Amino acid sequence: MYTIDLQSRTPIYEQLCKRITELILKGELKPNDKIPSVRELAKGLGVNPNTVSKAFGILERDGIIYSLAGRGSFVAEIKQDSLKEKAFADFDKAVDEALKAGITCEELAERIRGKEESL
Amino acid sequence: MIELKGVTKRFEEFTALDNVDLEIGTGTAFGLLGSNGAGKSTILRLLSGIYTADGGNVIIDGQEVFDNVAVKERVFFINDETVQFSGMTLRELKNYYKGFYPNFSEEDFEKLNKIIKLPMDKRIDKFSKGMKRQAIVITGLACRTDYLLLDEAFDGLDPTMRIIVKRMLVDAMLDRQLTTIISSHNLKEINEVCDTAALLHQGKIVFCRDLDSLKGNIHKIQAAFPTNCERGDFADMEILHFEKNQSITYIIAKGEEEFIRERINAKNPLVFDMIPLTLEEIFIYEMEGMGYDFKGID
Repeated sequence: MYTIDLQSRTPIYEQLCKRITELILKGELKPNDKIPSVRELAKGLGVNPNTVSKAFGILERDGIIYSLAGRGSFVAEIKQDSLKEKAFADFDKAVDEALKAGITCEELAERIRGKEESL
Repeated sequence: MIELKGVTKRFEEFTALDNVDLEIGTGTAFGLLGSNGAGKSTILRLLSGIYTADGGNVIIDGQEVFDNVAVKERVFFINDETVQFSGMTLRELKNYYKGFYPNFSEEDFEKLNKIIKLPMDKRIDKFSKGMKRQAIVITGLACRTDYLLLDEAFDGLDPTMRIIVKRMLVDAMLDRQLTTIISSHNLKEINEVCDTAALLHQGKIVFCRDLDSLKGNIHKIQAAFPTNCERGDFADMEILHFEKNQSITYIIAKGEEEFIRERINAKNPLVFDMIPLTLEEIFIYEMEGMGYDFKGID
């Protein structure tokens, strides 16, 4: 479930942040669920623990997870709205690029429907 | 913390390191990159006290390394030249290092050898090349030092052994703030294991940065412009590479993503695609910039 692509150009910490946020948005991780420790994730993914810590730090700063000393990290009670806002911000950026590249609104709508079906 | 201050090392006429300054923080997994003969191994040998510098200071946690036993027993150098112990069996090798490294852990050693099952009483010179490497790697890990130097040691290990070593490193980094320095030609490995890296070329440091900011700072751009654009049209951008192939322009540029986007968009591109470079691409373009031209060889 905590998969990342080591061949990808996207930095590993960024992929981890996105993946965990995604799992929360999809409801696979619920508020107060415990998430794996830095050690477990670093070993499981074969990456540097400092990188995993960095991702956790960002998620904590953004209020997506919280940590309890000696007990680990947990999913925070987040307002779905704030996650949606974030998703919309990414979406807007992509749409701007697409419109600039001459893709029409209809084509975009078609593509979104296609995505929904494939999920 | 490791500090090199103005370090120079010469071998007769050849200058292996030329006035190098380098700082490596405690708990870092540090990657040393560079072509053959760039000076990577020389740095590791200076840090393990095998060489003494011709100029400058090699310092670990505030103390000079050379001839300093208190520092040297906190550093383990895993290198390729295990031959010097060729007459020994693995048991003898283990006991030899156990005598020198006070934190040596029999438990770690056994745990590791349970997985790879090297014969304890066979002479190491009768081992295969891969087994020799495994022998020195597990001995080095079991010494539980604060600093671990791996000179291309990763490169010769099989995939299973790599995973084991990586996991051992994770534990050591979290439990005792191990600092690792890895020299390797395998950039994929460096990308996974390290958080900071330096590129060496002809005894000098080309760059030294944390990997994420390094990768976020060089971009590959593909664009098609409505009018003819030349390299000079982007004079305010730091361009490493500029190439045109029919209507498509390929640019490798250093700098902030937003700034580059702005500059390219100002030319009203018909098509514009921008992706960060992989570590391998950064290596190649940086080396190209240093005149290490590989294009002559097709």
